[in-house]
Formats: sequence, C-alpha cells, structure tokens
Amino acid sequence: MKKEDTVKLISAEGFEFVIDKEAAMVSQTIRNMLTSPGSFAEREHGEVTFPEISTTILEKICQYFYWSLQYASLHWHETNLIMIKESRFTYSSSLALASKSRGKETDFHIEPELTLELMMAANYLHT
Amino acid sequence: MVMEKEKGSELVSLCIEAACASRESVEKWRMQRRSLGRLPAHLADSLLRRLIRRRLLFPSLLEVFKYNVEAIDLRGENSVDAEWMAYLGAFRCLFSLNIADCHRVTSSALWALTGMTCLKELDLSRCLKVTDAGIKHLVSISTLEKLSLSETGVTENGIALLSSLKILSVLDLGGLPVTDLVLIALQVLTKLEYLDLWGSRISNSGVAVLQMFPRLSFLNLAWTSVTKMPNISSLECLNLSNCTINSMLEGNEDKAPLAKISLSGSTFMNEAEAFLYIETSFLSFLDVSNSSLKRFSFLSQMKALEHLNVSSSTMGDDTVEMVACIGANLRNLNLSDTRVSSAGVGILAGHLPNLEILSLSGTSIDDYAISYISTMPSLKVIDLSNTEIKGFIQQVGAETDFVLSLTALQSLSHLERLNLEQTQVRDATICPLSTFKELSHLSLRSASLTDLSLDHLSSLSKLTSLCVRDAVLTNSGLGSFKPPATLKLLDLHGGWLLTEDAILQFCKMHPQIEVMHELIIISPSDQIGSNRPSPSKICLRASLVNKKQDQIPISEYFLDQRLKYDREELLALQYSSLYVALPQDSDVQDVLGSR
Repeated sequence: MKKEDTVKLISAEGFEFVIDKEAAMVSQTIRNMLTSPGSFAEREHGEVTFPEISTTILEKICQYFYWSLQYASLHWHETNLIMIKESRFTYSSSLALASKSRGKETDFHIEPELTLELMMAANYLHT
Repeated sequence: MVMEKEKGSELVSLCIEAACASRESVEKWRMQRRSLGRLPAHLADSLLRRLIRRRLLFPSLLEVFKYNVEAIDLRGENSVDAEWMAYLGAFRCLFSLNIADCHRVTSSALWALTGMTCLKELDLSRCLKVTDAGIKHLVSISTLEKLSLSETGVTENGIALLSSLKILSVLDLGGLPVTDLVLIALQVLTKLEYLDLWGSRISNSGVAVLQMFPRLSFLNLAWTSVTKMPNISSLECLNLSNCTINSMLEGNEDKAPLAKISLSGSTFMNEAEAFLYIETSFLSFLDVSNSSLKRFSFLSQMKALEHLNVSSSTMGDDTVEMVACIGANLRNLNLSDTRVSSAGVGILAGHLPNLEILSLSGTSIDDYAISYISTMPSLKVIDLSNTEIKGFIQQVGAETDFVLSLTALQSLSHLERLNLEQTQVRDATICPLSTFKELSHLSLRSASLTDLSLDHLSSLSKLTSLCVRDAVLTNSGLGSFKPPATLKLLDLHGGWLLTEDAILQFCKMHPQIEVMHELIIISPSDQIGSNRPSPSKICLRASLVNKKQDQIPISEYFLDQRLKYDREELLALQYSSLYVALPQDSDVQDVLGSR
C-alpha cells in the first residue's frame, strides 16, 4: 500500500488508524479536508486528528467506511445519483438483492451502547 | 426513513435504528447522560421520533431528552397523559409540541406547561378534555405563536382569555363556539395571519371585526352563517365552504391578493355578482364543488387558475367551454360527478397543455373521450372510474372491427396513475396498458377481469401499486403471476376465488409486496411495524383528511407529494425496510436462504 493512498486517522486518545484513502472518502467531511484547495495540514501529511472522537468510536467508524464501500454503496450512494444508467441500475439492484439473500452478515452491526457517540461522530463526519 | 435520510447521513440513521431496536437496546444507552446532553438537537429530535414510532417511549425516558429536544410530535398517542406532560413541561428548549388527538390530556395536565420559555407552537386539536381551565395555564406561555384548539372543550370564556397571547400569528379555533363578542376581544391580536373559525357562531356583524387584523392572510369561515364577507385587504386564502353567500369581498379599494378560494358546498344567492369584487390575477386555486353555481361565466376572468374543482356541480357540456377558455395554466382539474360527457371532453381537448391531474370519475364519458384525453400531453394522473368506458370502440359499418381505445393513452409519456375502477374493461381491452412505461399506480375493479389481466400487467416496469378488486382471479393465476420487481402493494379485495393458502404462498414468494385481501389480516410489512404508522394512526389520519376537506383541500397536494418519489428512492426504501424485517421474519429468511 503506497503512502499516498492511505490516510492516518488519530483518535482523542492518540491511537492511529491507517486506512485507504478511498474508504476515508466515504466521509464527506474527510473528503473535504483532503481535497479542498489550500494547504490544510491534513492534506499535506495525510493525517487527520479527531480530538472529539474516542478510539472505540473511531475504530467503528473505520469499519463502517469499509463496510460502506463493500455493501452500502451499491444501493445507497449509487441510487442517489440522478444520472444513473438504466443497465447499471439493474446491475446494482440485483447485487443488492444478492447481498440481501445472504442475510444478516451484510448488516452493519452497531452495539446499542455505542449508538449515541457513534451517531454524533457520524453526524460530524457526514457519513 | 426518507426524511431521516435526507436530513442526516446513512450511518446516523443506522445508529438511530440500532438504538431503537428493542427495549433492551434503549436500556443500554439511556444512562449515558453526558452523551445525551451533548446530542445536537436534530439528532435528539430524530431519535425521539423513532422511539415514538417504535412505541418504545415511556414518560420517564422523556427526561433524558429535556436538554436538547426542540420539537415533539405525539399526535394520536393514546398513552399521553398528565405524567407525560409533567416531563414535557421540563423540556428546556422545546419550541414545538403536538399532542393533537391525545384524548387523555386534560386541562390540569396542561398545568405542567405553565411558564415554558421557548414554546412557540402548540397543537391541542381534538383533546376533548381540555377546557377553559386549561387555557388559564396556557396564557402564561407568552412565547406562543401558533396555537390549535379546534374541537376541544374550550368555550367562549376560555377563548376570550387568548387575547393576552399577544404574538399569536396562527390560531385554529375550528369547531369552537366563537361568537361575535369573543372575536371583538381577540382584536388585540394584531399579528394574526392565520385564523380558523369553521363551525363557529360568527355572524355578518362579527365578521366585520376581521378587517381589524392587518396581517390576516388565511381565513376559514366554513360552516358558519356568514353571508356577507367584507373585503380584507391582506387576504390570500379564503374558505367559505358550506355557507350561503350573498356577497364576497365587496369594495373597490385595496383588493385582496387572493390565491385560494374554497366554496365547496356553498349556496349562492346571486351568482352573477358573487365573484364581481374578487381580484383574479393571483387566483390559482378554486374549489366550487357541490356548489349551487350554474353559469360559470365568472371563470373567464380567472386566467391564472392552476387548480379547479367543479365536481358534483352543475357543470356540463354546455358550460365546459368556460374551463377550456382558462385552460392554459390548469394543472389539476376535477370534473367528477358532473354532467360532462365525451363531447364535453372534446371541447377541452387541445386547451389543457399543462394539465397533470384529471378526474372524470362518475361522469357519463365513454371510450370516445379517451382519444380527447390523449391530447393533454402533461397528464400524470387520470381518474376514469365509474364511467361507461369499455376499452374498445366498435368501428361504424364493420361488425367485427374493434379498436382498443386505451391505446390512445400511450402518447401520454408522463402518465403515472390511472384509475379504471368500476368500468366495463375486460382482459382483452386492457392489453394496451402493458406498454405504459411510467405507470406506477393502476386501479382496476371489475368482475369481468381474470388471471389474464395479471399476465398483461406483469410487464409494467415501474408499477408500484396495483389494485385488481372484485376480479375472478384463481389460485393458479396468482401463483403464476410474475409481479414487476418494483411492486410494493397488491390489492386483491373481492377476489372471492382466492384461498388464504394461495395468498400466503404468494406473500412468501414476494416478501416485498404488501398484499391486501379479506382473508389476510397481517401483511408482511405490518410485521415490521416500524416503518409505517400503526393502523389506528392510519385511520386517524384518514379521518383528519376528511375533516380538513372543508378547510384546505390538502388531499390533492398529498397526491403530488406521493408522485415525487422516483423509482430509485422507492427501491432504496424497499431494501431499508427489509433490513428491519429480516431478523424478525424467519419465513422471509427461509425463502431468501433457499434461493
């Protein structure tokens, strides 16, 4: 994995998560930080610190990024595009159906005790 | 679900879903006071909304939300009582509280709300046990701007007390005994913009007081004895349904910029002069259904009309010309239960380029009208129920030469909803429907329809709702029916040959479809129970719509709202509800697992 293709996300306690840039871009907030013009420290070093987000939550967020890339994007993000081609759509919807038939394992499980903090972090990260 | 998705991110809705999964999950987070305290208001609002919908909310749980929730909608929740109100009264930043139809809310329960400092909107509609004593508690909330008290137990003494709520801009007093005298007491409410007085005891002398409200733009005087309506220069919406009207807005200075007038069921003493003083340049909405109007010559002035309802009036082929004259801007035209025939529709042909919604239900039109309808290129919704339509035209001279009349509608590229209930269409004559690309809602109801009809309709790629009532459908026909992938609702009421087993089998095969039939009590999506309001709420809402019909005709707009969801959104909805359904519904899982 090349360094340019990854980002380091740092939690409130200082734990570092190195993840694919592509995954991190699931978050609109991180996407803005990494792509907006101007010299943000985040963009230069490929590092983002979240003093408000605890390690447990940040780990969950990272898991979600990957989960979202794998499953959710097919029927959430893609379908939000207005200019979608008909053939592509049927492909994605049939895939969504396929993932459905595999049942529970494709669900993103959230422990109830994490819901509040995770909700706030997700809200902040626009993900 | 769509609302939550629009507002927040996907992970936020997943979190809310997980937090409200069960009573146990609630217990896991409700003690996390610090997190709850930091929750931004919009997240707290959505979480609370979800808890209410999942029926997981109880009074003491309300307490954890008291620092951040801004709006609560508890409409129709029967459990809401004084204990709930005690907790709600402690909410620090609550600005909107809706407890309409909460029948256990009493006057003394409202005591808890006294002295609230942020509350701006309060809806107590149909809380029958709220009386004048309750109003005494409310007048201490000086921040109130919107107050609904319709059909409560409040009398004129209580209404008079409202004069101390100086910044009220919206006041709904529908169904209350408001008298001329009380209205004079309310004159000090100079910020009033919206005043609902349907069914009140206002008379012609009291109605003059309304001129004293400088900002009044919405006024409802339906079901009152007012016959002379004075000019109110700020008025935009006026409802005089079910009144006997002598004159409206008489006066030549400062004509009101009226946009909407509802005169449904009204009797006119002098039709020629009734509309004489009305400024028509802004008028976009006119409802004269069930009224005593005969000549309709007033229509010629109303060039800006977009929405016209003349159902159950004396409109006929002789007067429909008036509608054609002003057709350029019309989007919604209701001609149901009028004397308009196919010839009348012919007069309209070519004059309605922007018409999106057309109802001809209950008229005597036949198949010849269909070709005229096809000349209205923007049509999205057509109601042809209860008419003489057969689906074919017999060519003159040739006995065996039939033309399928519905074929003409193929030219309407925007057609989304079509209602052909109670017509004489048959299996063979609905064939052309199978090529309608945009059709999402189709209603059929006839004893001449059989399994063949289902076959024709399976090729409709955008169909989400299909109603085939009273048809002669068989078990094998239903079994071999391949519904379009988009189908969400299948109404088979009156299909007397179908058995419970066959329908259940179909439900198992197609878990995403909600099937309606006399033999089926629980449909798959009812088992989820979370994504849709409880049955009691549905009935409630239906009755609300009925009640409001004489106020603002909301129902037509409701239709438009439904149309705005496109295929992608509906599909997204479909899968999101499955997410919830899967863990609970083992049958569904079995079927899916075996695929």
